[in-house]
Amino acid sequence: MVLHIDSLVHRYPNGMTALAGVSLTVKAGERVAVVGPNGAGKSTLARHLIGIARPTSGRVEVNGRDAAGLGIADLARSVGFVFQNPDAQLHAATVAKEVGFGPRNLGFPADRRTALTEWALRVTGLTGEADSHPRHLSFGGRKRVALASVLAMDTPIIVLDEPTTGQDHRSVTLLEELLRGLHSQGKTIIAITHDTDFCAENFDRVVVLAEGRVQWDGPVEHWLEGAVDPPVSAFEQPQITRLGQRLGWPTPVVTVDGFLDRLTDHASSAD
Amino acid sequence: MIEFRDFSLTYPTGSRPALQKIDFIVPRGQICAVVGADGAGKSTLAGVISGVVPHMTGGETTGWARIGSRMLAETPASELVGEVALVMQNPFNQLSGARFSLREEIAFGLENLGVDRAEMVRRVEQVMADLRLTALADLSPYEMSGGQQQLLAIGSALVMRPAVMVLDEPTSQLDAVGAGVVFDALETLRTQGVTVILFEHRMERPARCVDRVLVLDEGRIAADGQPDDVLTDPRLADWGVAPLRYTTAARQAVERGLWEADRPLPVTLEAAAEGFDAALKGARTAGGL
Amino acid sequence: MDMSSHAVGDSPVHRLNPLTKLVFAVTVTVSAFAFTMIWWPPLLFCVAIVPMVIVSGTQRKFFPTFLALWVPVALTVCLMQGFFYPGAHRVVAGIGPLELKYEGLVFATQTALRVMVLMGGFFLLLLTTRPGTMMSAMTQRGMSPKTVYVVSAALQIAPALAGRAQGIMHAQQARGLSVTGLRGRVRALVPMAGPLILGALTDVGDRAVAMETRGFGTTRHCTYLTEVPDSTAQRAARAAMELCALTAVVANVLGVLR
Repeated sequence: MVLHIDSLVHRYPNGMTALAGVSLTVKAGERVAVVGPNGAGKSTLARHLIGIARPTSGRVEVNGRDAAGLGIADLARSVGFVFQNPDAQLHAATVAKEVGFGPRNLGFPADRRTALTEWALRVTGLTGEADSHPRHLSFGGRKRVALASVLAMDTPIIVLDEPTTGQDHRSVTLLEELLRGLHSQGKTIIAITHDTDFCAENFDRVVVLAEGRVQWDGPVEHWLEGAVDPPVSAFEQPQITRLGQRLGWPTPVVTVDGFLDRLTDHASSAD
Repeated sequence: MIEFRDFSLTYPTGSRPALQKIDFIVPRGQICAVVGADGAGKSTLAGVISGVVPHMTGGETTGWARIGSRMLAETPASELVGEVALVMQNPFNQLSGARFSLREEIAFGLENLGVDRAEMVRRVEQVMADLRLTALADLSPYEMSGGQQQLLAIGSALVMRPAVMVLDEPTSQLDAVGAGVVFDALETLRTQGVTVILFEHRMERPARCVDRVLVLDEGRIAADGQPDDVLTDPRLADWGVAPLRYTTAARQAVERGLWEADRPLPVTLEAAAEGFDAALKGARTAGGL
Repeated sequence: MDMSSHAVGDSPVHRLNPLTKLVFAVTVTVSAFAFTMIWWPPLLFCVAIVPMVIVSGTQRKFFPTFLALWVPVALTVCLMQGFFYPGAHRVVAGIGPLELKYEGLVFATQTALRVMVLMGGFFLLLLTTRPGTMMSAMTQRGMSPKTVYVVSAALQIAPALAGRAQGIMHAQQARGLSVTGLRGRVRALVPMAGPLILGALTDVGDRAVAMETRGFGTTRHCTYLTEVPDSTAQRAARAAMELCALTAVVANVLGVLR
């Protein structure tokens, strides 16, 4: 188990409770999507994983070590965090230098740094932009640079905050391909997103957060089965899931392929 | 009415035109979605319609564009205030930064226009109610979440009662509830005869409410038509726009004989459900024979 | 994030026109500095400021914050003047080579008490006035909307920038950047300052566009959402206070009561 969160409570100085006792365990190699309405506490939860937020009470364990005893830069060896807004981090004169920043901070030897940087640029489709100034790229391009700069740190856990926001279809397709590659390498992937279609097609497990609590947690193909809480139903389900419901199917479907298989079954079953 | 005729624009630093021979007419009261890949020219087009490009950015234009009787090449943004409202991608930068509460921030544009106070209060309260912002009225805009700021930016534009609204990804930071509020507001605008130009990546909601979809590809108009036609075009993904799952599912079902080949591909949940229901019934009848 | 010290309330003091409170603060300050009797500033504080605080109902926020601000100022003034007041000779106590002198302490006490009135008056104004109302009152008194814009934006931008700087620092630390120790801090400078400055520049460009499309700076006559209450009584009170302040200045110049 690579991540263990136990009764995590986060209260802001103004008394507002962002997380009201979240418990969550993630195993190595899992792909977990954290979804939920605005203000559910998704981003706050993610910030605990890299130590930029600290528990009011409760415990966060990363790779078997209590995060409370680790600095942000220490946690960066285990957890790579791709922030929602790339402009909060881009500072180097070239894309390649930006991507090499993390590995240098972590003290990797030169040959490993070079190899990781080249790999990260390749899988994010940025090899051709290696010498460009990051700020001259489009928003989608800058977002990919931020992603590459985290990948180059070669962390076992990768956390992505709203990776599809402001991304066009090509960028999303590239991202999906990349996530499949990372999964096959055994990386643990956690994404915070309100893009439920993206989540249904690229993740194995869904954690629904609402009002600072885990409202539902289960395999993606059982999408919200048995969930009764109103905040859960207030946020959007994947298109395909809603279509299945509309056709009166008793159990959820989440992907186009799953839908077509179910459709074929229904068509051939005489009733 | 918005009209573009043979309009091209090249930025001072650009090697190729950002917009090339753009031709279209949007009649008054139409809701038109503009889609396309990153760098296809969407932001430029939004800027031209709101009088920002080329007046504040520089750039060479050929052809012409107008809103009503005003030629955009001769009309900077400051002269379009009250006629055209722009909601930009990053809501934070849309804020005046100088108002201490959400209510005052929404009123900012009206204050600049010198709208009578009683009228101003009425409009501000109305917009806050429409966008479910009344409970946040006294909050500082700086203290609000990205999603709340996004609704605030939309409110600040709506309150101006413009003839044309330009919205650049207005729901990118909103959840389903917030996005629903925004699209309800667009429906209201339609009844008021406001022309809406909506720039979007995710097409599910727009597919249901827009009258028309315009696809930009490398600065040119690649397609222009009703959502049912444009969003089911097989080239959609090549233009950098994600096809709806309903469309993809139906297209693949055709191959399996589970979507009637002569039935148009669906872009809404309702159309998809209806089509698949029909296909299932058809299959069962055929199987029963 | 606490943007201002403003305490929400609806007392008669809260409802006063901000200008009335501003004139009040200026008048008590001028009066405190105009006369030399050492008991004069504390008297002013007790009969003018304290009742206003009580009426406004903000005493639970006013007094702790006020003391936290004033006590360090008063102590600093006493130590500085006590040791270094020019021309003083009556030694009260000696600490090593330094000598605490009577004349210095008297002067320091008087200054500290005057500052007490100044801080009290203006803190009361800040505490009972919404910043937006204050700015509206300024504009309606003829201050240019652009000046008011700059002041209002400046009041709010510092916490916003601090928040952004923290966000950038977190983003860079999450990429393994260590910011501890002198070397760490120096090395962190470019990764910190770059995004902050470039981000601010992008914002300025975007915001200029937004302001243009929202009609800021158009020559038309502006109106205001925030109504600033005023009354004949308040106008009369302001005139009376202005007269008091003027009298105090004249008395000071003529050397009455000093």
